[in-house]
Amino acid sequence: MYLLRQRDQQAFSYLYDNYAPALNGVIYRMVEDKTLAEDLLQEVFVKIWNNFSSYDNTKGRLFTWMLNLTKNLTIDTLRSKGYKKQAKISTDENSVSNLSDSSNGIEKFDTIGLRKMLGTLKPEQRQLIDMAYFNGFTQDEIAKQTGIPLGTVKTRMRSAIIELRKILQHT
Amino acid sequence: MEAQEIISSGLLELYVAGLTSKEETAQVEQWIKQYPEVSAELVQIQLGVEEYAFANAVKPDDSVKQKILSQINADEGAKIVAIKGESKLYKVAGSVAYWKWAAAASILLLLASLALNVMFYGKYDTASKDLQQSQEELADAMQSNSSMKQDMNIVQSKYSEPVSLHGMKVAPDAAAKIFWMKNTGEVYVDPSNLPDIAQGKQFQLWAIVDGKPVDAGMILTSKKGDKYRIQKMKTFGTAQAFAITIEKEGGSPTPTMDQMVVSNL
Repeated sequence: MYLLRQRDQQAFSYLYDNYAPALNGVIYRMVEDKTLAEDLLQEVFVKIWNNFSSYDNTKGRLFTWMLNLTKNLTIDTLRSKGYKKQAKISTDENSVSNLSDSSNGIEKFDTIGLRKMLGTLKPEQRQLIDMAYFNGFTQDEIAKQTGIPLGTVKTRMRSAIIELRKILQHT
Repeated sequence: MEAQEIISSGLLELYVAGLTSKEETAQVEQWIKQYPEVSAELVQIQLGVEEYAFANAVKPDDSVKQKILSQINADEGAKIVAIKGESKLYKVAGSVAYWKWAAAASILLLLASLALNVMFYGKYDTASKDLQQSQEELADAMQSNSSMKQDMNIVQSKYSEPVSLHGMKVAPDAAAKIFWMKNTGEVYVDPSNLPDIAQGKQFQLWAIVDGKPVDAGMILTSKKGDKYRIQKMKTFGTAQAFAITIEKEGGSPTPTMDQMVVSNL
C-alpha cells in the first residue's frame, strides 16, 4: 500500500507540475478570481485523478482531455453558483495581454515571447480560439457573440487555428 | 469523404474543443482510425491549442498541490480507484485488506462469544446457587412448620393438661410448662423459658411420685446451649408435682435440690 501510495504521488506530481499552470490559466481567465480559480483547480485535478481510467489516448491528447474536463467543470461551477457567463471576450488586447500586464501577484510562466507572438494573431481569430477552447462557448453562442453565421463557425475556426499554428511554428 | 476534405472542413477543430455533437464525435473518431493524415492533423490542432494554453499559463499557489495530494490520498483510503494499469494492484491490496478485515472480525466475534459464555456461565452459576439456597430455606421452613404443628398438636390436644412450673430462687424469672396427656400419661415439656445454661450442664425433669423425686428424663439442648422445642419425656400415670434441676450432662440419680430452677411444688 505504501509503495502504491508513493507511486501515486510521483505520478500525480508529474501530472500536476506539467499541466497545473496551463489549466489554472484557463480557469483563471474564466472566473477572474485567483482563490476561486485555485479551488476549482483542486477540484479539477481530483477529478482528473479519479477519472483517469476514462481517458482514451486514441481519441486525443491527454492535455486536450484535461482541458475539456477543466472547461466543463468550471462552466458547471459558474452556472451552479449563479455566475453569468463571462461575456467580456474583447476584440482588442484584453484576453491575452491583460494577464501579462496585470499586477495581481500571480506568477507568470516564462512565455512572454510566445505571448507577444500570439499578439500578432488577428483579434477576431484570437476571440474565436478563446471562446471555443478556453471559455466553453457552444457553436451557437459563438455565432451569436461574434455575428458569424453558424454555418461558417467551423471554417473560421479552422483559419484561426491555422494562423495560430503558423505563429507557433515561427517561435 | 476524402481525408483532405475532412481536414479542411473545420470539424476537427470543433472536435478538439469538445463542441461536436455525439454523431460528429463518433464520426471523427472513426476518421482518426481510418485516415493517418486526419489523425496527424488532429495532433497538430491539439498541439496548437496546447501551446496557446501554456502561453497563458498562470502558476497556482504552491499550497494547492499539497491540498490536492492530501485529498487524493484521503480518497484512496476510502475507496478503490481503478486507475489504468494499477487496477490489479489495487484489487490485490483490496482483497488482502478484505481478508484482514474478515479475520479481525472473526476473532472479534469469537472473543465476544467467549465473553458471553463466561458471563452466562456466571449467571447460571449464581442462579443455580440461588435455587439451591431457596430450596434449603424452603426445607428448613417446612421442617420448622412441621415441628410447630407437632407442638400445636400437643398444646391443642383435648387430653393435654398444662402444668405451669414457676421460677425458684436460683432463677426467679424462669418458667416452664408441662403438657401431661391424661389418656396416655405422656409428659411433654416446653423448655423455651428456661434460663441459659453453662456448657457441660443439662436440665433434668423430675416427677414427684409419692413424695419422692423420680427421674423424668433429660431435656435436650443443642451444643450451643439453645433449648429445643416441646419434647417428650418419660410417661407417668400419677405424679403430684414436677421440677427441673440443673445437673451434670447425662443427668444424676437424685436431684441437686439447690439447683432447682422451676417447679410447682
